[in-house]
Amino acid sequence: MIATPALPPGLLGIDDLSIGYGGGQMRGLAVRDVSLRLAPGGALGIVGESGSGKTSVALAILGLLGPAAEMRGLIAFEGQVLAAPPSKAMAPRQHRALLGRRIGTVFQDPFSALNPSRRVGVQIAEPMRHHLRVGRADALARTLRLLAEMGFDHPQDIARCYPHQLSGGMQQRAAIAAALSCQPSLLILDEPTTALDVTVEAQILALLAGVRRRHGMALFVISHNLRVIEALCDDVCVMYAGMIVERGPVARVFRDPGHPYTIGLLGSRPRISAPARARLPAIPGYGQGAAREETGCVFARRCTMREGACDGEQAPVRAVDPDHLVLCWKHPARPQADRPALPPSLRDAGRVHEQLVVAAGLSKSYGRSAAAAVDGVSFTIAEGEILGLVGESGCGKSTLGRLVLGLAAANAGSVRFAGSDIGMLKDGALRGFRREAQLIFQNTSSALNPRHTIGRALARPLQLFEMVPPSLRSQRVRELLGMVQLPSDYAFRYPHELSGGERQRVAIARALATEPRFIVCDEPVSALDVSVQAAILNLLADLRDTQGVGYLFISHDLAAVGQIADRIAVMYRGKICEIGETFQILGAPQNAYTKTLVASGRQDVLF
Amino acid sequence: MTRAYLARRLLGIAVTLAAMSCLVFLATHALPANTAALILGPYATPATQAAMEHRLGLDQPLLSQYLSWAGGLLRGDLGQSAVMQRPVKPILAAALENSAVLAAAAMVLVTVAGITLGTVGAVWRGRWPDHAVAIFAYSGLAVPEFYWGLILILVFCSRLHLLPSSGAGSAAQGLVSVAAHLVLPVLTLAFSFLAHVSRIVRSSMLDVLVRPFIMAARGRGLPEYRVILRHALPNALIPAVTVLAQDFGNMIGGVVAVETIFAYPGIGRLLVYALERLDLPVMQACILVITAIFCAANLAADLITAALDPRIRLGAAHA
Amino acid sequence: MPDGFSRRGRGRPSASLIAGAAIVGVLLATVALAHVLAPYPFDQFHIHDRFSPPSLKYLAGTDEYGRDVFSRVLIGSQLSMTLGLVSTIICMGLGVPIGLLCGSVRGLADELVMRLLDLLMAFPPILLVLLILVVTPPGLLKTSVAIGILFIAPVARLARSLTLDLMNAGFTEAARARGEYLWYLLLCEFLPNMWPTLLVEASLRLVFAVLMGAVLSFLSFGVQPPASDWGLMISGGRAFVDNAPWIALAPGIAMAITVIGISLLGDGLRDRLHPQFSGKG
Repeated sequence: MIATPALPPGLLGIDDLSIGYGGGQMRGLAVRDVSLRLAPGGALGIVGESGSGKTSVALAILGLLGPAAEMRGLIAFEGQVLAAPPSKAMAPRQHRALLGRRIGTVFQDPFSALNPSRRVGVQIAEPMRHHLRVGRADALARTLRLLAEMGFDHPQDIARCYPHQLSGGMQQRAAIAAALSCQPSLLILDEPTTALDVTVEAQILALLAGVRRRHGMALFVISHNLRVIEALCDDVCVMYAGMIVERGPVARVFRDPGHPYTIGLLGSRPRISAPARARLPAIPGYGQGAAREETGCVFARRCTMREGACDGEQAPVRAVDPDHLVLCWKHPARPQADRPALPPSLRDAGRVHEQLVVAAGLSKSYGRSAAAAVDGVSFTIAEGEILGLVGESGCGKSTLGRLVLGLAAANAGSVRFAGSDIGMLKDGALRGFRREAQLIFQNTSSALNPRHTIGRALARPLQLFEMVPPSLRSQRVRELLGMVQLPSDYAFRYPHELSGGERQRVAIARALATEPRFIVCDEPVSALDVSVQAAILNLLADLRDTQGVGYLFISHDLAAVGQIADRIAVMYRGKICEIGETFQILGAPQNAYTKTLVASGRQDVLF
Repeated sequence: MTRAYLARRLLGIAVTLAAMSCLVFLATHALPANTAALILGPYATPATQAAMEHRLGLDQPLLSQYLSWAGGLLRGDLGQSAVMQRPVKPILAAALENSAVLAAAAMVLVTVAGITLGTVGAVWRGRWPDHAVAIFAYSGLAVPEFYWGLILILVFCSRLHLLPSSGAGSAAQGLVSVAAHLVLPVLTLAFSFLAHVSRIVRSSMLDVLVRPFIMAARGRGLPEYRVILRHALPNALIPAVTVLAQDFGNMIGGVVAVETIFAYPGIGRLLVYALERLDLPVMQACILVITAIFCAANLAADLITAALDPRIRLGAAHA
Repeated sequence: MPDGFSRRGRGRPSASLIAGAAIVGVLLATVALAHVLAPYPFDQFHIHDRFSPPSLKYLAGTDEYGRDVFSRVLIGSQLSMTLGLVSTIICMGLGVPIGLLCGSVRGLADELVMRLLDLLMAFPPILLVLLILVVTPPGLLKTSVAIGILFIAPVARLARSLTLDLMNAGFTEAARARGEYLWYLLLCEFLPNMWPTLLVEASLRLVFAVLMGAVLSFLSFGVQPPASDWGLMISGGRAFVDNAPWIALAPGIAMAITVIGISLLGDGLRDRLHPQFSGKG
């Protein structure tokens, strides 16, 4: 007789879940022995970076893993077993019936969560009409009520819209409404605010917290964004390489982390309130996907506190407190005291004052009647200075970055580089400018030509500008790779074999190959995991301090900008509304818009 | 769709037709052989040849010939068939009617069956229904339609004596007769395009099925049939419609061949006949009519695509 | 310099690639060696053996003059394939540069060329070719050129659309930030990314050219007798389909094998040449 496994208590319970994709169970596990509990009305967050396996856990709960995945362990929901292979616990059709009715889901990327060919109202009503057999008129009424609860002022208009007619934030709110259609008892959220601006993010988080309060609904939040977890969750599990390495109440874990990975994660976040010009303690090495068949701690390879025992056996679970558990030999792990020594800054030493870039009255508009993308912008950047440019998406900052490099033609205004007007440069002088002024931008997926090896991509600028004689080129390529902390055999690889963070580092190395004096960085770190972000920001700051490179650092992430910039310019609808020293802008903003921006970014006041 | 867009497209069609008319006119009048001599045969004397040329207006300067012909066209006068000695218009109209029936039936078959097969191939990707559909598709594309026509004639007419192998059947002989004459030509015409359409629909469905909103729809617990039919298919059809319209244009080439094989009295057969006999007025009229239909089909496809895709229909975003 | 084309094997080639390559290989060998492989000359009469069904002596039977159908099919392959290849070379050789330049340079020239191509594509394809062939007496070369010209428009459109996509890529912006010249951008950055799709398109155009050539020959507007390609053979065999179907069926089977082989090769190459599949973000 097969003993029925004891059902975990509470709303959602997971016992010893392991998930592998393709091939044997023992190799390439995306998720390993994960267990967790969620009480009715509770809120649990899973924190992890890309490759940590957190999304796989959500898909397992939903039964949407796909045929290539193999699963072990037990998942129970509301007293029913959802999945317990090999003995089938719930038929797929029944499982499907639960989805939408008792479990609502909001996936990431609000721009593709809704069917572009159907009206928003219809899509919100569809689950309740299907699962609860609600009549059309009744469904419409409920839909309008839901939309009103989501904060829409004119629900009738929104219900009649198609998704593309709404902004990103509005589409996400509509997607949340669709998930709440049948009043589920559990709402699963996968990266609910990625791709949204900071102010919109704050609105959505407040909305979700309110919904939870009013309906007594449980939340299961998956994110790499610590701010989101903090705002929404009571408890948190930290995942790395498929395992939960730390769990406990949010406040406790974030204030007093026990596991070296959690410590590194929290420490490498750029913070507005951090001391100026400090270096971020970055986690060395780079993340990995599924846990290999290794013995020992999964994190040992990158851990700064590792010891002999760490390589031998998987660490046991230690309890810092009854409900705060850590998977580590060293307990309690305390952060290392050594901060990297700061190189002396050229700027502070008073050695450079020269105005590198002077922009005056730049304007650009697209089309005849459209509002100007950039409207009368002026600023200066000195050698060895980083000017941060912040603003929300659509404010024109990317356009401005292109104008400064002469990659787009301005309708009015001028840019002078080292004294010369770049609009007037021709031939040799223009090539010189191209060599000395470079661009790093966000789009890691297409920044490198997929058909060229890394080595070829890095060698091209060397060849074009004749930086080194041909015989020395491969050596220089190796040096460039070393500067961004990539092994030299990467020169033979193709971009698709690298992770997003590694590709970004290659793109940076390529920009540095020409030894420029000025670099425009357009969202260079937003798409990267927090730990890699830190390493790159450190690199850019090092170059500023040792070589006097000037930067225009464009980002919507005020914290990252605050970490690295000397001065900040705030942009809104094509105009600069405030510009000044970093500590001034962040500490005592004058302009109303700047104040809103700083307030939204300042959620980590705990630290 | 705005009025300006429609106006622009209609203007484009007018330009196309005008250009085509010039092209046709130039082509036919650049013929190396002497048309009048060809019509009269090898025993014509120079005198009768000159008289024929005068009758056909071939001794006028090129431009005035073109203008008188174009003027006639715009008035609805399609001229006189040089070979058959009858007005072109009624001949053309009858042929067009037959072809319209053939093409319409084939289009319906292609659309319905193509979408169904493509969806089956996408949903059961990698399993036997997909392979079966793929084999069917490859065989349709492997040889020109007239070859399948021959095989169908062989099987159904020569061996089984089930269906007629030529002609059209008329309303006078009854609907059954008309239908019987249509079956083989329609199947032949449809087969090769069926293959193409089903591949395109399959490929488009596969693209749509991996998009995030499909997973979101499944996440809301909607049953699979609903996800496929009401969420995936409408989005997948949008690119497929464009291809269907292009195929309609290619089908015109197919119509020519199929009508020839089955001796079906449609406009394609009329055109081939005119080309062989160098019957200029008929040739010119056929080409222009076919071009006009082709342009109209493209325009219809664009309008349908716009109607299906709300993004094109309704444009940009709210605040 | 680390510039190796070190493409690692991604597992075994797929079944369709192997099958396609095999068929195309045999086809090319046949085309090259047709006169050697054919058991009989294509125009040799065997009057006493007219209309014989397929047998060991005549592998695909004989036609109304007693000519060996199998030999005629082999030799006809030279004509049909030449027609296809010449057309493909013309449309790719002209269409791709036009598309590249239009997509990258844009502006007035782009507008004009695109309008012209749109006009060309607004004509029903077969009519365009027929018009050309009505004017000049048809023959193998002229028919191939006519078909080639017809296909320039879709190829140019494809090349242009690919170019437009690539213009938005990050590495294009990086190249412009380096001040690269246009020819470098098109040849060294764009073309390596485009050629898998273009190769597949070329295989498609080859197939269409062979098929259209057959249709034209069938309608007597392609190859002219006494030379005989597959289309003309089918047309000739049409009258005898009741009592000697093999005359028309044999060339059709040959054409089917050819088209299927080229299509399989094209599909197989496309599936193999996209290295971005396995990239982990």
